[in-house]
Amino acid sequence: MVQDYLRPRLEVLRNNQNPDGGWAYFPGKRSWLEPTAYALLALHREAESEAWQKGWRLLRSWQRPDGAWQANGQVAEPHWSTALAVTLHCSQRVYDDSFQRGVAWLLECSGAESSLLVRMMTMVGLSKLGNDPKYRGWPWRPDTTAWIEPTAHTLVALKRAAPQVRNAALSRRVALGEGMILRRRCSDGGWNYGSRAALGIDLPSYPETTALALLGLQGSREADLSDAVRHASQLWQSSRSRWSRAWLAISLRLLGTDLPNEPTDQPVAKDLILNALEVLAAADGGFRHFRPEGKPS
Amino acid sequence: MARRALTAALAAGLTSCQKTERKIFDGTSPVAVLRAKSYQTELTDTILEGIRLCGLDVKGKTVLLKPNLVEFDASTAINTDVALVAAALRAFRSLGAASVTIAEGPGHRRDTLGVADEAGYWKGIRGFEDQFVDLNRDDVSPVANFANEKQFFLPNTALGADLIVSMPKMKTHHWAAATLSMKNLFGLVPGAVYGWPKNTLHYIGIDNSIVALNRQFRKTFAIVDGIVGMEGNGPIQGQAKDVGLLVFGQDLRAVDATCCRIMGIDPAKVAYLQQAADLGAIAANQIHQRGENPQAVRNDFQLISEFASYRLTPDANTKKG
Repeated sequence: MVQDYLRPRLEVLRNNQNPDGGWAYFPGKRSWLEPTAYALLALHREAESEAWQKGWRLLRSWQRPDGAWQANGQVAEPHWSTALAVTLHCSQRVYDDSFQRGVAWLLECSGAESSLLVRMMTMVGLSKLGNDPKYRGWPWRPDTTAWIEPTAHTLVALKRAAPQVRNAALSRRVALGEGMILRRRCSDGGWNYGSRAALGIDLPSYPETTALALLGLQGSREADLSDAVRHASQLWQSSRSRWSRAWLAISLRLLGTDLPNEPTDQPVAKDLILNALEVLAAADGGFRHFRPEGKPS
Repeated sequence: MARRALTAALAAGLTSCQKTERKIFDGTSPVAVLRAKSYQTELTDTILEGIRLCGLDVKGKTVLLKPNLVEFDASTAINTDVALVAAALRAFRSLGAASVTIAEGPGHRRDTLGVADEAGYWKGIRGFEDQFVDLNRDDVSPVANFANEKQFFLPNTALGADLIVSMPKMKTHHWAAATLSMKNLFGLVPGAVYGWPKNTLHYIGIDNSIVALNRQFRKTFAIVDGIVGMEGNGPIQGQAKDVGLLVFGQDLRAVDATCCRIMGIDPAKVAYLQQAADLGAIAANQIHQRGENPQAVRNDFQLISEFASYRLTPDANTKKG
């Protein structure tokens, strides 16, 4: 049955690979790293094919001299999706110089609120950000603030990379990143995209950011995730958003929750990332790409 | 408040350091204020009347309708109502626009189509997905000299449009005092480059970013959804406010100044309206009001304490901006 659900989604991904080997966010557009990484993960069983290898080569070509990856061939700036590129290298068990430089860049990068200046300002009461800058997370792009989603993706990447990296900073950054996520948990038990409150008023959690926070916290020694998992399960039951349901399913399955499959007659989306996420969220095991130990089936 | 003042001072300093001398707008601009009792009434004719009163020609143009889609909360009024967007779609098509596309890039939710679904867009607009572009994940092109950035990326769908119709909700905003047609252009910035939220804009400065976006996109028209607005701790956590108005105009600064006057906010105190002196009119005597008189339909919005001093006084209506 699950194959009936997966087949049309995989077909859409195969049919919408761009001539350069990458994938766009939507059919007919330019290739970007984010949809390319998810499509390659979703199609991992075809990794020996020339089409898959073409996408892999394109993604690898977008690494910059500083070790970061850029968002696409055009926007020549370091980008958070470096985390996805590192995770994909782990899935392919490619631990070469590109991989090491990508990990090194992630270890150097952190939210602007964790800069020495801001931490000193916080210590003397000149900055009132509301979040403890000691807990260094990751931003969407350098020189901006850290947020839940890029932090969660980077934690997944670093945890997967850890056995292949000799850098004492890695475990410390993982602990600080987990600490950042844990301290930004909303009062309802999940996570908003950034903070737990604004102007002193509690913010609601969102399904997709709750899923991603759980993904980043897998294996955390500090966290008791049982309440958060229950909350995520409720969000999965109530959410209409297919994007949210896919991320929730990936997280909940990784954390051992048994979920039913999505209905096989659910129409295939035009959104190519959504197709890839729905493939990865299915019960057949693609979600394990996001597990610290890897091992997709 | 001290932090806000410091930020404003830094922004003003940066602005004054910029080499470009900008000529202060000294013309006049028409702005139409029309009554619209509810979303259940036929809004297409009202929109056509607003367009006519402002002298807008859309024949043969590629039109981008830019609503304000943020997130959905049934207990309040965050997003531009779908009934208004559907009516605008009909109105611009009937006037002979070459194409009409709906496009938006929400500030912090990744699932744009999911937010649109929750806000009723899929049900309220037939074939919605085929008429919609997620600006967060559109292809992009660089533009030069955006604020102090050497290079800034913006979505091709917006850069290629002949006319961008900014369709904001009439709301207060906890950082910028009011969020209207000028601030609504934040949704044109691509999340795929700048993230969710588009945090780079906060580092450039909210006011600087609003002005830079409005300098970049000059072929614009505004239709402000003031049928039900939001007061208090907007743009998300405020309370719904019945106003029963739509506000139209090609000069977004003049439209926003008029909305501020309706909301009981002194536009001369709103930093981005002040900063955009080259872009349009703000003074009451430079705005040709059509339809309802803003003073007659003034309906004060609750302001959070940080903006209590922004309350419009009777003589502020006639002051120069």
